[in-house]
Amino acid sequence: MNRSTEAVLLTSASVLAAMGVALVNLTGGRGPDAQVALTFIVFMLAFGTIHLSVRRWAANASPLLFPLAAFLSALGFTAVYRLDPELAAIQRWSLLVAAGVASLTLFFLRNEGVSVLRRYRYLSLAGAIALLLLPLLPSSWPLGGAEVGGSRLWVRLDLPLAGRTLSFQPGEIAKLLVVVFLASYLADRHQSLAAMRRKIGPISIPEPRQLFPILVAWLVAFGVLIYQRDLGASLLLFSAFIGLIYAATGQTSYLVAGTSLVGLGGIAAYQFFDHVQRRVASWVDPFDDFTGTGYQLAQSLFALGSGSLTGTGLGLGQPNLIPAAATDFVFAAVAEEMGLAGSVAVLAAFALLIAAGFGIALRARDLFRKLLATGLTLVFGVQTILILAGVMRLFPVTGITLPFMSYGGSSLMANMVLLALLARISHGERV
Amino acid sequence: MPALFLNLLKLIFIALVYLFLWQVVRAIGTHLALGTPRRSPRQATELVVVRSEQLAGKRFDISGPFVVGRSPDADLVIDDPYASDLHLRFGVHEGQMVLHDLGSTNGTYVNGRRVVAPMDLSKGDTVQIGRTILEVR
Repeated sequence: MNRSTEAVLLTSASVLAAMGVALVNLTGGRGPDAQVALTFIVFMLAFGTIHLSVRRWAANASPLLFPLAAFLSALGFTAVYRLDPELAAIQRWSLLVAAGVASLTLFFLRNEGVSVLRRYRYLSLAGAIALLLLPLLPSSWPLGGAEVGGSRLWVRLDLPLAGRTLSFQPGEIAKLLVVVFLASYLADRHQSLAAMRRKIGPISIPEPRQLFPILVAWLVAFGVLIYQRDLGASLLLFSAFIGLIYAATGQTSYLVAGTSLVGLGGIAAYQFFDHVQRRVASWVDPFDDFTGTGYQLAQSLFALGSGSLTGTGLGLGQPNLIPAAATDFVFAAVAEEMGLAGSVAVLAAFALLIAAGFGIALRARDLFRKLLATGLTLVFGVQTILILAGVMRLFPVTGITLPFMSYGGSSLMANMVLLALLARISHGERV
Repeated sequence: MPALFLNLLKLIFIALVYLFLWQVVRAIGTHLALGTPRRSPRQATELVVVRSEQLAGKRFDISGPFVVGRSPDADLVIDDPYASDLHLRFGVHEGQMVLHDLGSTNGTYVNGRRVVAPMDLSKGDTVQIGRTILEVR
């Protein structure tokens, strides 16, 4: 598989997106209009830019990553377009911007690769914390936080000249910075963390002071939960953290300790926060309070069920009944209109992408790049699993986006940059 | 029959979705197939005697230095009047089989050309020493 195959696959994905839009138009009683052409052009432009950047600055990179991302974006875009063509128009711009930022990432890392990031360890940590705190700024400021759906994880930036408001989710970028920090920190400290000198009964533990950073991470994750009421982001950050420590040290006790901390935190959160209680209650029985808290999940389950094997057909179902169908619950919308067949295809694409990420981590030659690739893939994978499990009622709904498929510019951009970093790491593995 | 038509379109779209995934999986397959021989240290590591009176058909694994010649000290002793006592040496360098002519009188020919410097061998190359011919597998 080489770069030309990548180009062919990216073009096919763009065709797929355009066909999806055409199909939605057809069932909606409209003929093929400018939207179809526009979608094709934007997809080609966005992924063409990335493709050329990869050719120029990371020519040996794994050619799998971006075609799969394009495929997921195509299906996601079709679902968003079907739900709300106006959101889709914004999403097209986001796609272009995300592609531009990913290309810029490849450009900045063209000479030294991701190893540059290792030096900016504490800068990334500070940046991540600042970004996570940003939504707490007063809403009245020109650059201030905003509360959406009970969670305070949005930042709104008033542009006085354009008379417009730009809003974004800084947490999406913060998760990348957290991974950069952790990979860099653990690449230096993994030996002292792996050394288990003390024992309490049958359990061996590392030096207590080595556990300090873990407690810090737990506090940060818990702080995000308390102040921003964001269950998903805090779970995501903490599980990426535990997973990465486990990957760096190979000590199962970190896994055990991490899981118990998550459990403790979860129980505490359930005791003290009513929004967590609501989430859990609607997970246990969404039909108990059907018109209230359980409504979203119940509609999602109806959507999954009515999709059957091949779905109702694009534009023929009623995914607009699901609240937040274009963002967190986009998978339910896809499952309703494309059925089991379509949703399994989506799951397969995610699985391939995650496998490719871990493959890159396994082949990377130095520890920092290994850990960085592991962490990025973990964040991507955990996020995917959390929201998919939420939509399918395997786990309480955590309210995070489905990478590449959900409507939302911050998420798209962060995940595109994530893939650019993975691509750059895989470029260095073969010389 | 618009309903039937739409149903057909729906199935075609799903089929195309899977066609894409199939292309990706196939691409991974060729990627892996291409990657394996290049990475494997045991690339071309076997010699087969193609033409020789006593040794025809014998196979030898080459994993380190392997000397061919008429001398009893050689790893492969060939009874060939045109071969030197220590005629040539095969070796493996970073997974690559290499041939060194040890200053033989009548020379060594790879694919019909006389060897003038140490050279890399790949699968299918024939090595001629006097009347004896070896093939790299």
